[in-house]
Amino acid sequence: MATDTDPDRIERFEDIDWQATEMRGGLSAVSRKAFGLLLTLAAVCVFFLYDYYLVRKRKPTVPVIEWDVSQVDWMFMVTLAVIFFYVLLPLYENPRMTRYYWREFRKNRAAVFSGGFLLFVFGTGLVGPLLLPKPEIALELGYQPPVFTSVSNNYPIQCVGEAANGRCFGTFQHPLGTTGRGKDIFRLIVYGMTVSMQIGLITGLIIITIGTIVGAVAAYVGGLADEVLMRYVDIQLTFPTFLLYLLLIYLFGQSLFMFILVFGVTSWGLIARLVRSEALQRTEEEYITAAQSAGAPNLYVIWRHILPNVSSTVITAVTLLIPSLLLYEAGLAFLQLGDPSIPSWGQVISAGRSDLSFAWWISTVPGVFLFFTILAFNFIGDALRDALDPRQTTQE
Amino acid sequence: MSFKTYVAQRLLWTVFATFIIVSITFLLLAASPNAQVSQFAFEAAQNPGTSAEEAREAARQRLGTNQPLWERYTEYMINMFTLNWGYSQSGGGQLVTERILNALPYTALYSVPTTILSVIIGVSIGLYSATNQYSRFDYAATFFAFFGYAIPNFWFGIILLVIFGAWLGWVPIIFQPDVPWLSFEMLKQLILPVIVLVTAQTTGLMRYSRAEALEYVEAEFLKTAKAKGVSSYRVITRHIFRPAAVPLMTILISDLLGLFIASSLLVEVVFSIPGLGRLTFNAILQQDTPLVLSTTLVGVMIAVFGNLLQDISYTVLDPRISYDSRE
Repeated sequence: MATDTDPDRIERFEDIDWQATEMRGGLSAVSRKAFGLLLTLAAVCVFFLYDYYLVRKRKPTVPVIEWDVSQVDWMFMVTLAVIFFYVLLPLYENPRMTRYYWREFRKNRAAVFSGGFLLFVFGTGLVGPLLLPKPEIALELGYQPPVFTSVSNNYPIQCVGEAANGRCFGTFQHPLGTTGRGKDIFRLIVYGMTVSMQIGLITGLIIITIGTIVGAVAAYVGGLADEVLMRYVDIQLTFPTFLLYLLLIYLFGQSLFMFILVFGVTSWGLIARLVRSEALQRTEEEYITAAQSAGAPNLYVIWRHILPNVSSTVITAVTLLIPSLLLYEAGLAFLQLGDPSIPSWGQVISAGRSDLSFAWWISTVPGVFLFFTILAFNFIGDALRDALDPRQTTQE
Repeated sequence: MSFKTYVAQRLLWTVFATFIIVSITFLLLAASPNAQVSQFAFEAAQNPGTSAEEAREAARQRLGTNQPLWERYTEYMINMFTLNWGYSQSGGGQLVTERILNALPYTALYSVPTTILSVIIGVSIGLYSATNQYSRFDYAATFFAFFGYAIPNFWFGIILLVIFGAWLGWVPIIFQPDVPWLSFEMLKQLILPVIVLVTAQTTGLMRYSRAEALEYVEAEFLKTAKAKGVSSYRVITRHIFRPAAVPLMTILISDLLGLFIASSLLVEVVFSIPGLGRLTFNAILQQDTPLVLSTTLVGVMIAVFGNLLQDISYTVLDPRISYDSRE
C-alpha cells in the first residue's frame, strides 16, 4: 500500500504505470494485483467450502499433516494473501522506492534490529509449527531447567540431564526447560510466535480496512454521513475495549477468534479519525482537483490519490497499536480469560506464576520474548514514521 | 456559541452516549445464549416430577425472560439509571451497589499515590529531557520510557513479588485488607503495586510532555528570556511548562482513566488487592451476571465522564480553542 506513487516525488518516465493510466475509465478494469488477490481469495473460499460441507466436524481438513483449519487460520490465510499482493509485490515491482525506503529505514539502527527480530519471530511462527510437534503434557518431565542452568533435585520428578550434587542440570533436549506439567518451553515459545503474529496481523488488517473505509467515506462524502460516523467513533473510543471484551467472553465464551474479532471491530476509531483529517487535507490539494476535472470518478480519486497518501499515517498508527493488543492478549491469558487451547505466551507466563520462586524460567522466558516483541513494534513504529513520511519531521 | 451552551451541549451528548452504551449492554445480554436459564433449568429438573420443558419455562419465568423484549428493555433501562442494580449472586445476597462501594476505597488506596507520583515524575523528567535534548539523561529517560511501556505490567508485578516478597521477605505476598490505613504495614504492601503502575503510567506522560515542551524550546520568547538572564529553573517552570500544560492536562485525564480500567484489574489480581478490578474478575469467575454488568458499567461511566471532563478542561484552559469547531 505504502509503495504506490507518492506525488511529492518526481517520477521518471519509465515509472508511469501505463496499465493504471488506461484503466482511468473507472474501476471496471481490475488491476493485476487485485486480480491475483481475488484469485487467491477464491481459492481460499473453495478450500473453506470444502472444509465446511465435505469434511466432518473435528476431522482434520488436510489429513496428511493432521491440520484442522480453525477460524483464525482462515483469517490468517486471507491476511497473508493481502500482505503478499499489497505489500510485498509492490515493493518488488518498485525497486527504486523500495531502495529509498530501505535507505531511510536503515538510518535508525534500533529499528533495523527490531525489524530483524520481528521477521525472525514471523518466519519461525509461520514455519515452526510445521516442523516441531505440538508441546505435549508429560508430567514426569516437569520442571526441567534450561540448558547451562540447574535446579535443586527436589523439584523435577525425573532429571533428563545430568544430576550431580543434588542438583539437576539442563540439557539440549529441552533448551529452555519445561513447565511444571512437562511441556517443552522452546516449542511453546515457537507456537506462541504464531499466535502473536496472528493477533498482530489479522487484527491489524481488520483495523486498517474498517478505519480507512470509514475515515475516507466520512471525509469525502461529508455532511450527515460524516457526522453520524464520527459521532459513532466518539462513542466507540470512550467504550473501553478491554471491558467490552470481558463482558463478551462472559456472555459468549472465550476464544482467540473472539478476541481478534472484538479488538479488530472496536479499535479502529483512532485510525478512522486520522484518515479523516488527513484525507480532508488532501482533498484540498491541486492534484485532486486536476484528477476531478479530468473526469475521474470519486472511487478512483479515493483509491488512487487519497488512500496512498494516508497509508503512511495508517501503517504507522497500526504498528504502534499492535503492541497494546499483544499486551491485552497476554493479560487476559494471565487472568485465565484467554483461549485455553491456544499456546500463547501469556498462557505460559500464567502457568509458571506459582512456581516462580524456584522454577524462574517458566514465566521469565515467555515474558522476555513478549517484552522484546512489544519493544520491537514500538521501535519500528517510530522508524516508520520517519521513513514513510518525508514531510513530517520527527518530534524526538 | 457561548461557553455555557458548549458545556450544555457536551453534557447532553454524554447522556446520550451513556444511553446508547447501556442499551448495547442490554442487547448483548439479550443475545447471549443464556447460561443462567440452563443452570436454573438443570436445578429444577433435578426435582422429580418436572419435565425438562417445564423446568426451562419455570427458569425463564424466574429470570423474567418470558416477557416481550421491549418491556424487558424499559425495565432494564429504568433499573440501570436508578442505580437499582440488583443483588449480587455470589456475595451472600449483598446489594451490588454496596459491594462496589466497599471495593472502591481499595482501588483509590493505590491509584491516588500512583497518579500523584507518575504526574510529578513523568512531567519533570519530560521537561528536563526536552531542555537537555540528546544528552545522556535524555537517552536514559527514553530508554526508561520504552522499558516501562514494553514490560507487561502483571509480569513485572509477579517478578517483583518473587524477589522482594518470597526471596527477600521485605513485603507481604498477600495484601492484608484489615491493616490500619495510615500505618507502616499498609505503606509496605502498597509499595510494589505503586511501583509497577508508576513505571507504566510515567512512560506516556514523559514522552508526551517531552514532545510538547520541545515545541517551545526553540520559541522566540524563550530566547528573550534567556537573553535577559532568567534562570533555567524559571525558564522551565514559567516559560515552557505553562503553555505545555494545556495539552498535557487532556492526555493526563484519559491516561489515568485507562489505569482504572485495564491495568488496575491485572495489578489487583497479581497483588490480591480487594478493589474494583478484582471484584470484576471474581464476578466473571463466579458467573455473577448483575455484578459483572455493574462493574463493567462503572468502568464505562468513568471513561465517558472522564472524556467530558477532558473536553471541558481543554476549552477552559486554552482560550484559543473555539467552541464551534470540534476538531
